[in-house]
Amino acid sequence: MSRQSKLFLAAAFATSLALPAVSAVAQSAQEIVAASDRVRNPTEPFRSTLVLTEYVSGQERSHSAFVLFSKLDASAHFSNLLEYVEPPRDAGKRVLLDGRSFWFYDPASKTSVRISAQQRLVGQAAIGDVLTVNLAADYTASLSGTETIDDAARQKRNCWHLELKAANDTAVYNRVEYWVEQGTFRPVKGKFYSDSGRLLKIIYYRNFIERLGSVRPAEAVIIDAVDSSLATIAVFSDSRFQDVPDAWFQRDYLPRLQVR
Amino acid sequence: MKRVVAWLIWLGLASTAMAADEDKDLELIPRAEPAAKPAVATRSADSTARLYLEDALTFNTLRNDLLVPAPPPLPPHWEQRLLGDARVEWPLGPSAIVAYSGRLNIVAREGVGFPNRDNVTHDLRELHLSIEPRPRDYLDLGRINVKSGVALGFNATDFFKARAVVDPLTADPSVLRENRLGTLMVRGQHLGDDGSLSLAYAPKVTDAAPIGEDPDRGFSPLFGRTNASNRWLVKGSARLRDDINPELLLYGENGRTKIGANLTESVGRSTVAYVEWAGGRRLGIVDEALVFGRQTGAIPDLAPNVIDQGGKEQFRSQAAIGASYTTENKITFNLEYHYNGAGLSADDWSRWFAAGEGQSASSPIARQLWYVRAYAADRQEPLQRHAVFLRADWVDFLVPKLELTGFALADARDGSTLLQLSADYAASDFWSFGVLASATTGGRRSNFGSLPQASTILFKVTRYF
Repeated sequence: MSRQSKLFLAAAFATSLALPAVSAVAQSAQEIVAASDRVRNPTEPFRSTLVLTEYVSGQERSHSAFVLFSKLDASAHFSNLLEYVEPPRDAGKRVLLDGRSFWFYDPASKTSVRISAQQRLVGQAAIGDVLTVNLAADYTASLSGTETIDDAARQKRNCWHLELKAANDTAVYNRVEYWVEQGTFRPVKGKFYSDSGRLLKIIYYRNFIERLGSVRPAEAVIIDAVDSSLATIAVFSDSRFQDVPDAWFQRDYLPRLQVR
Repeated sequence: MKRVVAWLIWLGLASTAMAADEDKDLELIPRAEPAAKPAVATRSADSTARLYLEDALTFNTLRNDLLVPAPPPLPPHWEQRLLGDARVEWPLGPSAIVAYSGRLNIVAREGVGFPNRDNVTHDLRELHLSIEPRPRDYLDLGRINVKSGVALGFNATDFFKARAVVDPLTADPSVLRENRLGTLMVRGQHLGDDGSLSLAYAPKVTDAAPIGEDPDRGFSPLFGRTNASNRWLVKGSARLRDDINPELLLYGENGRTKIGANLTESVGRSTVAYVEWAGGRRLGIVDEALVFGRQTGAIPDLAPNVIDQGGKEQFRSQAAIGASYTTENKITFNLEYHYNGAGLSADDWSRWFAAGEGQSASSPIARQLWYVRAYAADRQEPLQRHAVFLRADWVDFLVPKLELTGFALADARDGSTLLQLSADYAASDFWSFGVLASATTGGRRSNFGSLPQASTILFKVTRYF
């Protein structure tokens, strides 16, 4: 037997031993992501205010704010309904993000326009959607390894480093790298990639406080990886559980939404 | 053994390099905490409002070699408009609101002296009471803007659009809807978990106002534009699947009924396809214009028809079929095909030009021919039978907050086009600056090339409150 053949047999043997282990790891990776999803958001319907502060080269540039209504549907996806409160030029605009159906409503023209999964990323409202997304429902996770990385406050965190691949059409991003703290399942960091493999956003989760019945991140730092001079800090406030009827998540409800 | 050690060293180095890479990301986190808190926490719970002041300066260039000369008044060479725009909702309890939407204009333009009653006008877009007697059952009463349709460039099912747009600052059909008058009506709506049904009735409260003349414009609600006939609309939609939500419409006016449908579908992650259709028995647009002109006294009863489309009432369709596509660079394209079964055929166009060629601008023939075109524009109905519409919207063009929008509407018969390009820069949360340029192109015997307005440029500054 040649040296190459021996090497090939050894590699094949090693691979055959590794297969069940890989499967077990894949399963637990999915569970890690699901547990982290439960840290970020509750399973009951809720309402929250989301304030976004945009920075250019570290300088504060503009603000936007939304009231967000969020509810988990039968397929473990969050349906989101958002209304812009700030800035004044956008006040009253609404976005419905429900499964594969995305609608944008402008009270100035009183029209609802259907938007694609890609177009939903154009506006700031996409941030609300990204922060409530249940990654375990839309992505297939695998464990890349364990790493100690700095969180947003430069504290060392022992993390699982996970690789997430889009599992269906509702996945906003094609691929996500995700770091979850071992033991607490707190999300620490995410890197979000486009279909073409381009790094689009880096998100750090921070300021873990008691919110919506558990300790959850109240802030996220969203860095535009395409133009790294741009960053957004998203802050959740005024969060509370609220019944959100299914009827709200349809185009015809958009003109009727009252956020008071 | 050496190989294993080397591999372990390489793995360690790689892992260190990866961690260093992750540390670099930390440098991108803004160090400053948000300084100014948005007013979201302090905004009044008593009302919701969107208010802005805008100043717009417009310059037009006109064609002077029209084959069929246009009768006066021609578009002004310049116009200066200061407008205050408000949209406010006041709650009247937990399940009732009063909504107002309107615009106050202070206008100076070529040919209009100052002060003049046309200098100050008010457009009452909406004023209505909405109550929710039971959860998700609604009753609305007052002037309401009811809009329908899923296409961007032409909404065949938007039955209440006719005559509702006053003093447009743009030709962009997707923006025109922003300053249009609502209709006085009563409307009921039920929203179920998977669908919606609404019924609206708009009574006739006055006679139709002539086209192009709003004699008591000032602060008049202009019901002669919106409530000059009895109209009704039944609209229903159902969520058949997560992503399929068709809408059906039944509309009646003066004993004639139209039906309509809207359907959208997601195709992949970047594309939305849509189709909008409406149909019903009616005259061609030329014949309809002549009937309306005689009803309102714009065309003398005994004046012969300079042009007609046979005067035959038949089932005619209107449709828009299109798709939107969004790139990773935040550009959204909309491409649409528009069909108007009541529009002018190639023969109709030939007769329109043949009848008007060589006439003077003040001749009854030219007046009648241009009346047909004014009628179509007033109803926001395409005069052409087939058109192609392409619109592009680029958010964060070159720099963040700069939005570039352009569209081309081409008559598929003669290739003439209406083009528009606009740029809007949101300089801060409260200030925006914009510039808009539009032009019509085409030969002297073409649809858009025969319009008096050759090009327009508009500068505007907006302050939001």
